[in-house]
Amino acid sequence: MLAFLMRRLLLAIPTLFLISVVVYALLALKPGDPIDELRFGNPGFTHADYERLIKLYGLDKPWYIRYWYWLSRAVRGDFGPSRRYGMPAAEFVFRQRMPNTLLLSGLSLLVAFAVAVPAGVWCALRRHSFVDYAVTTLNFVGISVPVFWLGILLIYVFSVRLGWLPAGSLGTPGVAEQGLGAYVVDRLRHLVLPVLALSSIQMATWTRFMRSSMLEVIHDEYIRTARAKGLPERAVVLKHALRNAILPIITLVALAIPGVFSGAVLTETVFNWPGMGRAIYDAILANDFNVAMVALMFISLWIILCNILADVAYALADPRIRYD
Amino acid sequence: MKRIGLWVLCGLLGLSAMGLAQGPRMGGELIIAFGTDPESLDPNKITSAPAGMVLTHIAETLLTMTEDLEIAPLLAESWEFSEDSLALTLYLRKGVKFHDGTPFNAEAVKVNLERFRRASYRFLLYPRVQRIEVVDEYTVRLHLDMPFAPIISHLSHNFVAMVSPKQIAELPEGQDIVAPIGTGPFKFDKWVRGEYVRIVRNDEYWGPKPYVDAVVFRVVPSDATRLVLLETGQVHAIMRVPPLDAPRVAATPGLEVVKVPSVRTIYIAFNYQKAPWTDRRVRQALNYAVDKEAIVKEILGGAGGVSDAPIMPLIFGYSPQKPYEYDPEKAKKLLAEAGIPKGFKVTLYHPTGRYMMDAAIAEAVQAYLRNVGIEAELITMEWAAYLSFLFKPVHEATFDMFLLGWGTVTLDADYGLFSLFHTSQWAPAGQNRFFYSNPAVDALLEKARVTPDPEARKDLYAEAIKLIWQDAPWIFLHYEVQINAQSTKVKGLIHHPREYILAHRAWLE
Repeated sequence: MLAFLMRRLLLAIPTLFLISVVVYALLALKPGDPIDELRFGNPGFTHADYERLIKLYGLDKPWYIRYWYWLSRAVRGDFGPSRRYGMPAAEFVFRQRMPNTLLLSGLSLLVAFAVAVPAGVWCALRRHSFVDYAVTTLNFVGISVPVFWLGILLIYVFSVRLGWLPAGSLGTPGVAEQGLGAYVVDRLRHLVLPVLALSSIQMATWTRFMRSSMLEVIHDEYIRTARAKGLPERAVVLKHALRNAILPIITLVALAIPGVFSGAVLTETVFNWPGMGRAIYDAILANDFNVAMVALMFISLWIILCNILADVAYALADPRIRYD
Repeated sequence: MKRIGLWVLCGLLGLSAMGLAQGPRMGGELIIAFGTDPESLDPNKITSAPAGMVLTHIAETLLTMTEDLEIAPLLAESWEFSEDSLALTLYLRKGVKFHDGTPFNAEAVKVNLERFRRASYRFLLYPRVQRIEVVDEYTVRLHLDMPFAPIISHLSHNFVAMVSPKQIAELPEGQDIVAPIGTGPFKFDKWVRGEYVRIVRNDEYWGPKPYVDAVVFRVVPSDATRLVLLETGQVHAIMRVPPLDAPRVAATPGLEVVKVPSVRTIYIAFNYQKAPWTDRRVRQALNYAVDKEAIVKEILGGAGGVSDAPIMPLIFGYSPQKPYEYDPEKAKKLLAEAGIPKGFKVTLYHPTGRYMMDAAIAEAVQAYLRNVGIEAELITMEWAAYLSFLFKPVHEATFDMFLLGWGTVTLDADYGLFSLFHTSQWAPAGQNRFFYSNPAVDALLEKARVTPDPEARKDLYAEAIKLIWQDAPWIFLHYEVQINAQSTKVKGLIHHPREYILAHRAWLE
C-alpha cells in the first residue's frame, strides 16, 4: 500500500509539470495581451508606449522563455503579481477567493452527499412506491435543469416573491459589527439558495447511483443469508448492503472534490458569489495570466490527489482490493 | 426619453428644493450596486468608469464637470490662460485638508501631477504640460509646449484626482495606492476585492458634508442579480438595467428608472483604405440601408439616441447633421452606380456583451444589408482577441466592417474626433482603426486643438463634423443611454453622464 502511494505521488510530479506547460502555452498563445486593454480608449497611448510596456513585461519573448521564468519562480513559491488586482496572485487566489469557494462548494458537496445516500437507499428499499416515483421524478428534473436557471428561479421565488432569503452575495456589508451571532446568521442565510442550486445536480445524480447500486446488492445471496440468520433489517441494510453499495458513490464523491476548489462559475455569477470559478474565468478573459496559472495548477494538484484518494478509499472500503 | 432631459437638468438645484420640503435625513448606509470591480483605486492606474465613480467620492480633482456638463471649480477656485495660451494658472482653494491632515496646496498639486507624468501613458491624458510651477502656496502654473484648449476638460476628468502627497511619498517603489487618501466628502474605509468598496463620511470636509454615514459600492456582475437585489431592497440603486427590463422596473412601486445619456457612441466602421469602401457612394449607401430609428426603438428599447454626428449631443463641439434616413431604394441605387454586384459578400466583426445588445444590433444590420443585396458574414470574438485584432496596421487589416463604441469621456470634441479621425492616429499608433484620412479634417482638428476661444473652436469642429459626415467612414448608429434604477427611498442621488452615480448629497428617507 505504501509503495503504491509513493509511486502514485511521485508520478504526480511529471503530470503536474506537463499540465503547467500545456496551460501556460494555451494562455500565452491566446490572442491579445494585457497591454491592449490599457491602450484601448486611451488616445494618448502611443505605439512607443506599447512597445516599451511589452518589453517591460517581457511579452516580446516567446512563450517558452516566459514559461521558464514563470516556472523557475513558481517552484520557489513565487507565483508573481496579479496585473488586474495589484497584489500577489497567490494571495488573491488563496486568501480572497479560496475561502469563499470552499464554503459554498464544500457545503454543497456535503449536503448533496447527506441527502443522496439516504434518499437512494430509501428508494431502493421501497421500489415502485410513491416516494420512489416522486424522488425519481425530482432527480430527473434536477439533472435536466441548468443550474443558472434553477438559481434564478430560486431567487425569484424565495427572494423576490416571498422575501425570505437574500438574493445573493456573501453577506450584508458591515454586519460583522453587529456581533458574532448576527454575522453567522447573516452568512448562513446568504448560503441557503446558492447551496441549494449548486448541490442539485450532484444530489440528483448520486441519488440515482445510490438507488441502482443498492438495488443490485439487495438481491444478492449474502443479503438473503443475513436475513435468514435473523439479523434485524436495520443491520442488514446498513452493515451488509450499504457498505457494498456505497463503493461507486465514493469514487464519484472523490472525483467531485476537485470541483470544490475550482468553484462553479455559473452559480457564482447568478448569486454574486466571489469564488474561484469567477476568478479563473475573469483572469483568463482579462489576460491576468499569473492568477489563472496559480489557480489552475492548484486545481490540477487536487484532481491528481483526489484520484489517488479514491483508489485508497476503495481499498479501505473493500478489503479484497489490494495495490501491492 | 422625457426623463433624460429632466434628469440632466434637475441636478442639485431641483433635488435640494425637494429636500427643503421634507428635510434631508442624516445617517444611514447607502448601497449602490454596479457591474465591475474597480481595477484599481490609484488615480495613476484607473481606466474604467466604475473605478472613477468610487474614486471621485474620495479624491477630488482640480476642476469638475457637473452633471449638466459645465466645467466648474472644485479644488481650484478659478483659472486663467496667459495671453499666448501657453500657461494655465490655477488658483487653489484655501483651508482644504487631505484625510490624513496634510494640507492641500500648490506643492501637493505638483507632487500629484509629477506622479502622473512619471507613468507616461497616464500623463498623456494631457501630454502638452511641460513644466509645473509652484507660484505661491495656493497658485500653480502649468506651462504648455503649445496651446492646448482641451486641457481644462482633461483636468476635470475624475482620473486626475489629487491624493495626499504624504501618501505618495510613503508609497514603496512600484506599488499602487490601494486606500487613496484624498480631500473628498468621503474617506476610504474598506475594499474587499470582487465584493464591495465601503467609504465613510468625512466630517472635516471643506464643502457641504454628506448626509449618509457610509456608502457601499457592491460589485454584482450579473444584470439579473443586480436587478433582484434592488427589487428585494438589498441595495438602493443599481447601474445598467437591461433595456427590456426597464419598463417592468418603472412599473414597480417603490422603484424608479433613471435614464442618463451616456457619452458613448456606437458605430460600424468601414475599412477606409480597402475597396470597395474607398468609394464614398458605397459608404453612404450602407448608411441609407440601415434603419437606425428601428434599432434604437426595437432592440435598445429606447435606451439610445440615433447619431446625428460622430459625437453625442452633450459633448462640447457637437454639431447636428442631417441624418442618413432609412431608404433602401436610394441605397440600392448608389450601390448600382458604384458597380457593386448583387450578393456582394463582406465581413462584419462585432463584440458580444461589451455594449448594450451589440450582437443583436450586428444581426439587425446584417438583415438590413441583405435587403440591399449585400451578404454580411458576422464574426464575433471574445473581447481580448477583438482588441488585438483591431490594433492591426493598415496592410494587415483584413476586415470590411467592425462594430465598436467610443466614449468621449473628457466631454470635449477633441477626445472624440482627433483620436478617431486624424490621419496620425491610424492603428496601431492610435484609435483610428478604420484608416480614415481627409487632409481638410486633419487641418481643422489640429487648428481646433490650439484655438483658445471656445466659439471659434466650436465652428472648427462643426466644419470637421460636416466633412466627416459626408465622407461617411462609419455607419452612424447611435449613442447609448444608460439606464439606472433606484429606490424611491433615496433622495438626492446624481446620475452623471460619465456613467457615475454620485452620493455626495444623497440621503435615505
